[in-house]
Amino acid sequence: MAAPVNSVVNSSAKCSSFNATSFQKKTRSRLISIPGTRPSVQNGQLLVSTGVTSLDYLLGGGLAVGTVLLIEEDRYDSYSRMILKYFLAEGVVCRHELFVASAQHTPDDILQELPSPILDDVAIHKPVEQPRLSHEPQDSLDAMKIAWRYQNLPKVQTALASSSRFGHYYDVSKMMEAEIREAAKCHRFYLPEHPTQSSPTHSPMLESYSALLKSLRDVIQREGFEVTAPMSKSRNILRIGLHSLGSTLWGDDLCCHDNPRHGHALTTFLYGLRALLRSSLSVAVVTVPSHLIQNRALMGRITRLCDNAIALESFKGSEREANPLYKDYHGLLHVRQVPHLNCLASQLPDHKDLAFKLKRKQFSIEPHFYSTDVFFLTSHMSFTLKQVLV
Amino acid sequence: MLSELLQGTDTGGFLIVQDNISHSGRPLLKSFISAALNRDEDVHVLAFEASEEELKDGLQGLPCQRLHIHNAYIDPLGWTAHPAFTVQQFCFEELTQLAKQTSQPKPATLVIDSLSWILRHLNPPHVCKTLQQLRKGGAVRAIIGLLHADMHQRGTVGSICHLATSVIAVSPGMKADEAVAKTTKRAKSGKVTQDEEIFRINEDLTVVVLNKTSHPGPKQTDQEEPEMDPTANLTFNLRLSDTEREAKEKLALPFVFSKEKKMALLQSGPGSGRILYEPDANDDYDQEDPDDDLDV
Repeated sequence: MAAPVNSVVNSSAKCSSFNATSFQKKTRSRLISIPGTRPSVQNGQLLVSTGVTSLDYLLGGGLAVGTVLLIEEDRYDSYSRMILKYFLAEGVVCRHELFVASAQHTPDDILQELPSPILDDVAIHKPVEQPRLSHEPQDSLDAMKIAWRYQNLPKVQTALASSSRFGHYYDVSKMMEAEIREAAKCHRFYLPEHPTQSSPTHSPMLESYSALLKSLRDVIQREGFEVTAPMSKSRNILRIGLHSLGSTLWGDDLCCHDNPRHGHALTTFLYGLRALLRSSLSVAVVTVPSHLIQNRALMGRITRLCDNAIALESFKGSEREANPLYKDYHGLLHVRQVPHLNCLASQLPDHKDLAFKLKRKQFSIEPHFYSTDVFFLTSHMSFTLKQVLV
Repeated sequence: MLSELLQGTDTGGFLIVQDNISHSGRPLLKSFISAALNRDEDVHVLAFEASEEELKDGLQGLPCQRLHIHNAYIDPLGWTAHPAFTVQQFCFEELTQLAKQTSQPKPATLVIDSLSWILRHLNPPHVCKTLQQLRKGGAVRAIIGLLHADMHQRGTVGSICHLATSVIAVSPGMKADEAVAKTTKRAKSGKVTQDEEIFRINEDLTVVVLNKTSHPGPKQTDQEEPEMDPTANLTFNLRLSDTEREAKEKLALPFVFSKEKKMALLQSGPGSGRILYEPDANDDYDQEDPDDDLDV
């Protein structure tokens, strides 16, 4: 993918006002420079962040542009929906375009629930307020006694516009403000608004999926996301979020019967989706209610057709909730598939037992240790440390 | 939680009473009908599995002009010339028309007895689509359905319950007239609450919740030792008095310049340097965050 010279010059001219030196790195600029993306250190693929930094780490640095991430939903669709919202919120912050499709909730409902990004990326340590003596003049807050040389330098960049970080943190307890959300361009697909006509051709795909694929193709062609599109304007990434594909509200009986009549509908759609993504600058996250799909062979086929696949298993409502080993976590995360893009072997995550916990400012995914030796060792260590301090 | 659901405060809700062969959920369904009638709401009942007389049994004392039973028991498949209500009429347009027939401005409650019967004759995606459309449309305030969980494949039961906001699974209790209800409620925010209660239904169709089952809950965590202030019991004094603080402020530090020299050295603009910091994986943001109150 060769980028023309003028786009590179434009981007460098924008940041030259902040450059300390006039040194410009001489590169052949084969990679397109799009905000919110970075090349992978392993294979040079262009990566975008999923919005959850620990998930980025699991997937090998991020989600490669042109791939699909499949999320197998947990029983009550709380955490998978949360990850979808993180993905869309990251798109808003990085100024990417969004495409949201759902059959159950209107896309606007999903967009209104996006978590708010934390602007002060670094926790600024507030100095403890010493009680001021009465005769001292009120100094400005920026007056520093010892580090006065740094007094007039601006604080760490807090505006979203100049945020050049790859992954961001979000505060789940607050909703994203309307002006930030509306600044992002979003395409919506709500299935009840698309009346399905029975197609005359006998296609294995359902009308709902055909309509969705057609809508996606129209958006990609119209907005110029195709890789072969003329490079006259700056390029951007399209983030596609498809909620609960395969559920009955899409007209699919995959979840209802063991031998569904439309067994090939979703797999044909995923095949078409991947073909569309490979030839465009877009990335997709698809959630599937896999706990309802009884046919494991079908689930295996669906997993194979997506590049990345993870499964969420929440402890809510299961017998594992009372298990003391799991009391720190909200559920288990299983990595079903990692992609091998343009390579023979893929990089597997180090740990296979992963558990997740949704905290207010972070969705953390950690390896989870089953052995009781580690459990006793860590609790014993914390006990002795407490004694030493006190 | 059963009593809260009986009070029926949330609109747009879809409640499923799930029963099986060992214990029928129809008495609980009738309790819901009587609770709705006592609240002066219009109730439309689609009776597929039970006759009108059987459904009205027990509801005599209540104002019945708001109860509309659509008799689908006699001829559900439309074999005679003039069927009262057929299963083919279970679609969004017909049901909305049905619910709007009553002159009340308040939307009605729709009770379906039973969803299993409908699922035998219509395909599940169509049923799910109709239920979802009814919920989103304004004609019906709440939908209550009876589902026989052992009549369908697990996927079908799961798909229908996935759409519901609350699911009550009844099973037989220890004594003859008692039953156990496992309730799962999904709030709009996504929070899921579960409860298990023993209840009994009286003659007048009121539900008496006896007690919660002795559920082995999670062990109580040991109480935290009271935080000890490290500066409390020391042999030296760590605190400052006011005069001492004054003296401390006045002390000239070794590399502190006078204000004029500082101004001369400082530049007024943002300067040539920028502080750039990219937190990496080791900077775990906000470790001790009280997230017990996170309602997700």
